[in-house]
Amino acid sequence: MIEARGLVKVYGGKPQKYAVQDISFTVRPGKVTGFLGPNGAGKSTTMRMIMGLDDPTAGRVTVNGRPYAQHKAPLREVGALLDAKAVHTSRSAWHHLRAMAATHGIPQQRIHEVIELTGLGPVATKRVGGFSLGMGQRLGIAAALLGDPQTVILDEPVNGLDPEGVLWVRNLARSLAAEGRTVFLSSHLMSEMAQTADHLIVIGRGRIIADASIQEILDGQGRARTRVRTGGPEGAQLLGRVLAGPGVSIEAREGCLLEVSGVEPRAIAQAALEQQVLVCELTPLQASLEEAYLDLTRDEVEYHSGALAGRPDAPDDVAAPAAAGRQS
Amino acid sequence: MSTTALQSPRTGMKAARPAGGVNFLRALHAEWIKFTTLRSTWILLATTLAAMVGIGLLGAWGVATALEQAADSGRDPGADGVRPQLLYLMPTGGIDFAQLIIGSLGVLLIASEYSTGMIRSTMTAVPDRLSPLFAKALVIAAVAAVTGIVSSFATYFLMQPVLAGYGQEFGLEVENLVPSMLLSGAYLALASLTALALGSLLRNSAGGIVTLVALFLVLPTVLGLIQLDWIQDALPYLPSNAGRQLLALEIAGGDLTRLQGGLVMAAWSAVLLAAAAVVTKVRDV
Repeated sequence: MIEARGLVKVYGGKPQKYAVQDISFTVRPGKVTGFLGPNGAGKSTTMRMIMGLDDPTAGRVTVNGRPYAQHKAPLREVGALLDAKAVHTSRSAWHHLRAMAATHGIPQQRIHEVIELTGLGPVATKRVGGFSLGMGQRLGIAAALLGDPQTVILDEPVNGLDPEGVLWVRNLARSLAAEGRTVFLSSHLMSEMAQTADHLIVIGRGRIIADASIQEILDGQGRARTRVRTGGPEGAQLLGRVLAGPGVSIEAREGCLLEVSGVEPRAIAQAALEQQVLVCELTPLQASLEEAYLDLTRDEVEYHSGALAGRPDAPDDVAAPAAAGRQS
Repeated sequence: MSTTALQSPRTGMKAARPAGGVNFLRALHAEWIKFTTLRSTWILLATTLAAMVGIGLLGAWGVATALEQAADSGRDPGADGVRPQLLYLMPTGGIDFAQLIIGSLGVLLIASEYSTGMIRSTMTAVPDRLSPLFAKALVIAAVAAVTGIVSSFATYFLMQPVLAGYGQEFGLEVENLVPSMLLSGAYLALASLTALALGSLLRNSAGGIVTLVALFLVLPTVLGLIQLDWIQDALPYLPSNAGRQLLALEIAGGDLTRLQGGLVMAAWSAVLLAAAAVVTKVRDV
């Protein structure tokens, strides 16, 4: 169980950079929770804060009930692969695992077990510097499992793995979760997450943009909602009556606040115009995770290179609500 | 989350989970394993030993030759500044080089963990962060002390057959000789601790080693050339100058005593290590 509350991480320098802005989430045991976001979204920073390597600027994160550093036997509580390169390149895998095990008095038999489990046997006595990326990942996972932890955190575990390795990680994550453990793994690939995770936390530019089960996300696919705020409750009622129809769902949230799905934002605006209803807000809400995720990724790409700034291939139905949302 | 689920044959431990967590002794054990399982450790230790013994033997041979030539030409050897007493300094004569080599080991011990990323494994395994630092300090100080003592005694004994050819043997009863050889261990231990602190503060191998050389070798030489009173007054308090009193066989009246010199050198190590501890605790890994 991992619980983050109001987590903020600001990196110093000018200008200050928000790596993570006020995020809260809970990662529960017994399932695989995916942490999805484009590169630079704050996934690794968040994981480093969970592991006590980075101090949060504000907020708090606990693992199995207490901050990581306060556990008496942290490796038995939480195992993490934060970075496949968190190993001295001149040491052999076997000696690396021996040193890690020594900190917790973990018996040698367990080292053999994790070496066997991760398939490191043939290279265990070789220098880590000569490892392929995939072998490095396997060593990182072996170290993470050394303490037989209740919570397992894997940062981009399939990076650099061949298809067989990807499948192996996927099965490992699923079997760890099936044993009742908390499994939290990050990726920047939606497709990978869709195949491994039960639950998804999506992060973009340091903020959580979705936190839902895969099923909810699949159910929500294609059901774009729009939040409409009118000048007064009468207007909201009028607009609700006009928009009502087959395939349209309208929820009245407060007096003058509606959540509409099944109608394009543009059509809502058109109806409001015809009925002379004052609209103060017209905001498209997470059309679908894939779209929201793509939008974020696109923003990142624009930010970095500007090559896709024009986005001529962007579908109208994505671009239009975004534009409408900004104008309102 | 049931306990039976934790004992899956696939990923879990078949046996009951042994109790016990992190403590300083375990952190120390881990640091010892890490220290002994890098080839660079053994290369640098062997080089330290070779430097101490090699330079000591060469120095002894040179002094003995000079003494012999002076005797042959009938001049007073003291007139050339060559005295038999110089031989007594040779068991620890290689310390200037030895301190830099074992100091490099001290820097690398921690800085290489930062450069390879190993530090993240270290600090997640022992999250109080200070235990790994102090365990490293203990390991390097102990190893440096043993290396200093072993290499100065080795130099002394290997020197004797060389000196015998020149009729210049001397015994362990020479005043302050045995203490100086024993204290060469303390000197190298303190030097390596200062180096470890520099490596930890700078988190960079090259930067740490350069700073070490500057502090122990360049600064004493360069400042020695500057004829300003306050600089000349400060000179004896530089770590290598102060520490040199530990190895001195005779100490002039106005100089730092053996104890004072040792304490000044230890103060350098202590202050830098304390700074390293604070930075390690506060800064993100």
